[in-house]
Amino acid sequence: MTGGRRRPSGRLLFGLYLVASGGVAVAAGVVAVARAAQHPRSAPPGRTSVELLAPPGQPIRAEADVFRTHAGVTAIPPGGERQRDAHPRTLARFRFLRAYPGAPPRIPHGFTADEFRTGACNTCHQRGGFSPRFDAYVPLTPHPEMPACLQCHVGRDEVTGVSLPSLDPSTVCRQCHAPGAARWAEALVDWRPMAWPSRAQPGQAGGVPSITHDLFFRGNCLACHSGPSAVAEIRTSHPERADCRQCHVLPDPTVNEFIRPIPGPRGRGEGS
Amino acid sequence: MTELNRRAFLKSAAVASAASVASTFVPAVAQQAPPEGTQGHLEELRWHRAPCHLCGVGCGLLIGVQNGRAVAARGDPDSPTGQGLGCVKGYHAVQTLYGRDRFTRAMIRRRGVLVAVPLAEALDLVSRRLRETLTQHGPEAVGVYGSQRWTIPDAYVAAKLFKGGLGTNNVETSARLHAGSARTGLETSFGLDGAIGCYEDIDQADVFVLWNVNLAETDPVLFSRMLARKRSNPAVRIVDLSTRTTRTSYPADESLLHLPQSELAIANAICHEIVARRWVRKDFVDQHVAFKRGKIQIGSEVPDGPLVEEAAAAATWDDYVTFLADYSPERVRGMSGVSPARLRWLASLYGDSSRKVMSFWGANVNGSIRGTWMNNLLYNIHLLTGKVATPGNSPFCVTGLSGLGSGVHDGGASADALPSGVTGNAEDRRRAAAIWKLPADAISSRPGHHPLGMFRALERGDLRFLWIQATNPMVSLPNLDRYRRAAATPDRFIVVSEAYPTPTTDVADVVLPAAMWIEREGIVANPERRVQHWDRLVEPPGDAASDAWHMVEVARRLGRGELFPWNRERHVEQIWEEYRRFHQAPASAVAPLAVLRAQPGVQWPFERGRATERRYNTLQDPSADPKRGAFDFYGHPDHRAWIWLRPYQPAAESPDRAYPFWLGTATVLEHSGTGTLTQRVPTLHRSIPQAYVEIHREDARALGVRSGERVRLVNRRGALELQARIDYRAQPPRGQVVVPTFDEGLLIERLTLDAGCPLSGQPETSKCAVRVERAGSGSGP
Repeated sequence: MTGGRRRPSGRLLFGLYLVASGGVAVAAGVVAVARAAQHPRSAPPGRTSVELLAPPGQPIRAEADVFRTHAGVTAIPPGGERQRDAHPRTLARFRFLRAYPGAPPRIPHGFTADEFRTGACNTCHQRGGFSPRFDAYVPLTPHPEMPACLQCHVGRDEVTGVSLPSLDPSTVCRQCHAPGAARWAEALVDWRPMAWPSRAQPGQAGGVPSITHDLFFRGNCLACHSGPSAVAEIRTSHPERADCRQCHVLPDPTVNEFIRPIPGPRGRGEGS
Repeated sequence: MTELNRRAFLKSAAVASAASVASTFVPAVAQQAPPEGTQGHLEELRWHRAPCHLCGVGCGLLIGVQNGRAVAARGDPDSPTGQGLGCVKGYHAVQTLYGRDRFTRAMIRRRGVLVAVPLAEALDLVSRRLRETLTQHGPEAVGVYGSQRWTIPDAYVAAKLFKGGLGTNNVETSARLHAGSARTGLETSFGLDGAIGCYEDIDQADVFVLWNVNLAETDPVLFSRMLARKRSNPAVRIVDLSTRTTRTSYPADESLLHLPQSELAIANAICHEIVARRWVRKDFVDQHVAFKRGKIQIGSEVPDGPLVEEAAAAATWDDYVTFLADYSPERVRGMSGVSPARLRWLASLYGDSSRKVMSFWGANVNGSIRGTWMNNLLYNIHLLTGKVATPGNSPFCVTGLSGLGSGVHDGGASADALPSGVTGNAEDRRRAAAIWKLPADAISSRPGHHPLGMFRALERGDLRFLWIQATNPMVSLPNLDRYRRAAATPDRFIVVSEAYPTPTTDVADVVLPAAMWIEREGIVANPERRVQHWDRLVEPPGDAASDAWHMVEVARRLGRGELFPWNRERHVEQIWEEYRRFHQAPASAVAPLAVLRAQPGVQWPFERGRATERRYNTLQDPSADPKRGAFDFYGHPDHRAWIWLRPYQPAAESPDRAYPFWLGTATVLEHSGTGTLTQRVPTLHRSIPQAYVEIHREDARALGVRSGERVRLVNRRGALELQARIDYRAQPPRGQVVVPTFDEGLLIERLTLDAGCPLSGQPETSKCAVRVERAGSGSGP
């Protein structure tokens, strides 16, 4: 596959199969409405506060129509159990894992030796759903077609890094009882990355926010902007609308405003 | 340090750079507040092209620059090298500029301690000591050891100063140390260095055979490209033929383990099978191939003096068939550990005329006492089957780091080379002297020291002044303790140009702060012969300047300024124009700077506005004469490629009763070279903070060792204690242990051997013998 090909966003049916394992979170319309009055706020430091549609990890009623199992059943049945998400994805956590806007995120969880060697990441990250192993909803990759995940996404060192529980018995104790700090005196980096985009404010009340990132590897909107594993602050209220880019456009910030050049005299009219 | 003020610089960079891609690529930020820590006016974020410098692929990147700092990196979708993809090193390459312990001032060692001084004072001292050494000991007592990470202009300035200005050929780089056999392999098989095919062959091949190269970690973007090729055509086959199981093995269709060194026999066995099954492309061989025997008893020592010169004796087809009789799959089974059935199957992939085959190999093949021979043997397979120089049929050597463009475009920075030609050829010397406006006899015909020879000369006292640039020999030289002692010998003067403190700067008498990568304009070439240019995108910190500029300053102080009449702002452009005069012949011509600026990399040979994708192919290569048929191997006087009769010979040091394990070394994805740059990136460092030893589960059990516990590796040269890892990133088979080389805190090269290929000078770092014991038990070293 050649890079640079923009993936069409908003395919008519997202084709995402959620596995309802061990209980499914509830998205009863009643519950959603009742909670609408109390949605939590999340404020990245120094920025405007953002109203969340739902607490992190809680599904949204509209998502029930979008995410279906391959048997056609809605994957978020009303009346089911709410799943406790021990690691809700917030914008702060999202940014913490990336060296700068657009950088590939670090892997925040441990994994078994087998998974590490074979890079079997898509087993979970292409399908999503709730992972009892990590007590969290699995974030979806917007680019499952790239198979060599570990080329760009690196993990914490499984012996000295603190991460979610690993199942490898030779490392589980050493999550906390590490045999000693890494030899290298951790060199500090004087790193001043560019600012994260502010949640793009629409030009008028009720207007539509623009896309704040390019679409290379990130053309699949629903993978990140919808679902219980979506970053809470950027979760869309209307995932059932299939063509995102009908309303949300991608402006080129280096282009100046349109200014029509003043035409010269036309040789008509009075005095010509 | 620069005449331009920052604002004017940013403007000129934005305007002058044809690589600023505003309209076709939208940066990642639409609206923003000023970044924390900056004040005042927020400059617009702009993206500029630059090749990554952290591995041997040479991916094209786009670097986001804002307020005079590099803040982000993306793959350049227009780059034919990376095709918009990067790897974790490339994405974090911008952070390598900003480690806090960066050298920003020149340092002089006074009473054992490095002390910051004005740059002019350090340059004065360097020049004075250089002049004194020349006067007292002559030109053979000085030398410069540069880097695969050098740009071509850096290398060219070094060659011009030392070879032209000072009359010594002691100019070498770490390219020879890590990829020397790749060069001599090509020179013996084809008469010329420089890859035959290109990365685009990956998109066309039907079969990939990986010869002991962990492509997933050494060249990740090429690995992804290979997987993409497989995904696009399910009939594609990937064979991982290796001494251990790695990340590369898992997506392969077949993973074949073989014993170290036996690849020599396996390659011959494949040729044996190709001949026996009549899979030989007879018409190709008759028209384009000659058979040669070389020197057989060349030993396993890299000579202190000049390298062994090959001598070719003609051989016939019948000689070759007789030679191959020793390498039937049945006979090779024992020494290789690969079954005859599997060897035959491998041969059938090469022999199948309907399938295009690409072979990859790298440091594990090259870093062997028979590295040159092994390169020849791999080319032999492709020559027997006629699978060379056409799309998808590609024997391809990856070389670890890209920067200097192999022995053709290394600027003249090898002991026996000039910017074009060799020091041993009178006509080449005259041409160089004429271009450099020097007397005809100014350039010495005596070859200089290769890298190991240079450090041995330092040890003996034949070399007294050594300038080391952008490389870390006090970590990367094999049999390291010997050369650490050499560097510590009194009455030697060592200058190190570097960006960060390393064990090499720890032995320096003077440290010059180096400008890195996008802090200076540069031109490099990658293994597929693609020359890439980048502008200076950010200013270097403090007094840092490019290696080339430091050498120019020293030259001026020595009164040789007339050789370097360049101005600081345009010196790269001026160097390139001068350099191109050495490469007028179409076989090595490079594109002019204007073309390099306009495109994300242009391959050489570049002739009449066209870049050459595949050499020796008369349809693609302007130097190939169509009257000779579909191919013209113009590197040799007989216009043929040569199949060399190369036998199997054992490694310099194999396991024995005292030291029963093979020790190998390895590259990891996250780190480049000895980790000088990549260790300073938090994401990369935390991902793999220290080296370890990979050991098989059963071997560990026999030693009573569990994963994470410490073991000691002991051999004839030293001992090292480190952490064992079982079933971690890669698994060696029983009887082998492997240690990655990125960690300056765990100097594995203290245990490796400085035996090597006598033809190339590249040491055998891929294998030696050790004993493994639990730490805290057993005897000492």
